[in-house]
Amino acid sequence: MTDTTPIRRAATQPPLLEYKHVRKAFGAFQAIDDISINIYPGEVVCFIGPSGSGKSTLLRGTNGLDPFDGGEVIFDGLVLPRKPSDVRKVRQRMGMVFQNFELFPHKTALQNVAIGPITVLNTDRATAEKQAMALLAKVGLDDKADNYPVNLSGGQQQRVAIARALAMQPEVLLFDEPTSALDPETIGEVLSVMKALADEGRTMVIVTHEMSFARRVADWVIVFERGKVLEEGPPEQIFEAPTVERTKEFLGHLGWA
Amino acid sequence: MTLDWSVVWQNKWLLAEGALMTIVLTVLTMGFAVPLGIVLAFMRISKWRSLALFSQCFVELFRNIPLILIVYWSFYVIPILVPVQFSAFTTGLIALVLCVSAYNAETFRAGINSVRAGQTNAGLALGMSQFQVMKEIILPQAARRVLPILATTWVSLFKDTSLVSVIAVGELSHVALQIRSQSFRVLEMLTAMAVIYWMMGYPQAKLSDWVRKKFEVKE
Repeated sequence: MTDTTPIRRAATQPPLLEYKHVRKAFGAFQAIDDISINIYPGEVVCFIGPSGSGKSTLLRGTNGLDPFDGGEVIFDGLVLPRKPSDVRKVRQRMGMVFQNFELFPHKTALQNVAIGPITVLNTDRATAEKQAMALLAKVGLDDKADNYPVNLSGGQQQRVAIARALAMQPEVLLFDEPTSALDPETIGEVLSVMKALADEGRTMVIVTHEMSFARRVADWVIVFERGKVLEEGPPEQIFEAPTVERTKEFLGHLGWA
Repeated sequence: MTLDWSVVWQNKWLLAEGALMTIVLTVLTMGFAVPLGIVLAFMRISKWRSLALFSQCFVELFRNIPLILIVYWSFYVIPILVPVQFSAFTTGLIALVLCVSAYNAETFRAGINSVRAGQTNAGLALGMSQFQVMKEIILPQAARRVLPILATTWVSLFKDTSLVSVIAVGELSHVALQIRSQSFRVLEMLTAMAVIYWMMGYPQAKLSDWVRKKFEVKE
């Protein structure tokens, strides 16, 4: 008998992020139905699945912005606390990138990136802005440092938002459909920034509908449906040889397989 | 019918004093009604139900009765409620503050609510506290939306101060109407009043337009 369990390279270390029996309902709708999964250090994990399958809800529960009803999230061996003052400490160590960017419109690109360290870490303004400038350069936007978000394209705004998340030196980056609100021509620039971050060995959890990106960049892919994990595995397995019929159907609808 | 405009010029200092009083009333009213409005708005959105309910009742009461009624009401009711004897000026000021702070409370509340929830989430995700999110993210954005409305309220208030003339506060309307009844120069005094109000009000209205343009929220 041959072992068909797919190899998860990162799994030699303890997980950075553990979801244990998490549940969440919106009224009668069970958005997350007893999910238990692990994210390992240095891994790029993509959450895929049809709309309403619970992948975004799972991501937003990770840093307690939208807390789960039951179960727990364990980050770096620490159970995510419920108390607002305690959960803040954990949130500082997780970066989040939103579908609608959510840059602060009253601040310039540079100020958007610097505000986290200034307010949360008490970094002095000069140091924070110097770091912010370096991060803007990293996402290719140092020439737009003094622009307000309104004067940036969607793709540029999202790159600033990524720099803003990086400014807190997070141990994991959470992306909630980062390219879903973008014009097709600017999706590429955001994905290539994300690819560069993945190549640095950062731990990233990405909710995405960009299947070719997931195929190319992910170390591990988790397929969701109706609040449950349908299948998980390395991208080669999920995209080339899914073991679950529903995964095939879902990918088939998107033009895969 | 002959018109005699000299009555206006003869009473120029009285009128100037009245005009000054109108300005003082406007400035003082706003000076009190802005902080009060902020306090009421925060009470309204606070998680303590009783505070929220008090704020709501206050706002809905004073926003929905005519200002002139609040003025009369203050004049007759305040002496019953408190043992202190207030001057007509103080009474008029209280009436104006009650009314305008109710308006301002709604303005501030709307301003705070107009900032979408995602902005709060973005701040919290960075690790900010609720207080930091309010101070760094929500209030600066709310202020840009609130300022033009406050400017409009200011322009209305400037004209509405005339209503406290009914309890003999010596502002422009009261002074002018007094001169009218003593000199019987009705048309002259009413016209003079209109001209003075307009000359003072027009620049304020223009300034308010400028504020609205300058702080227009672009997203």
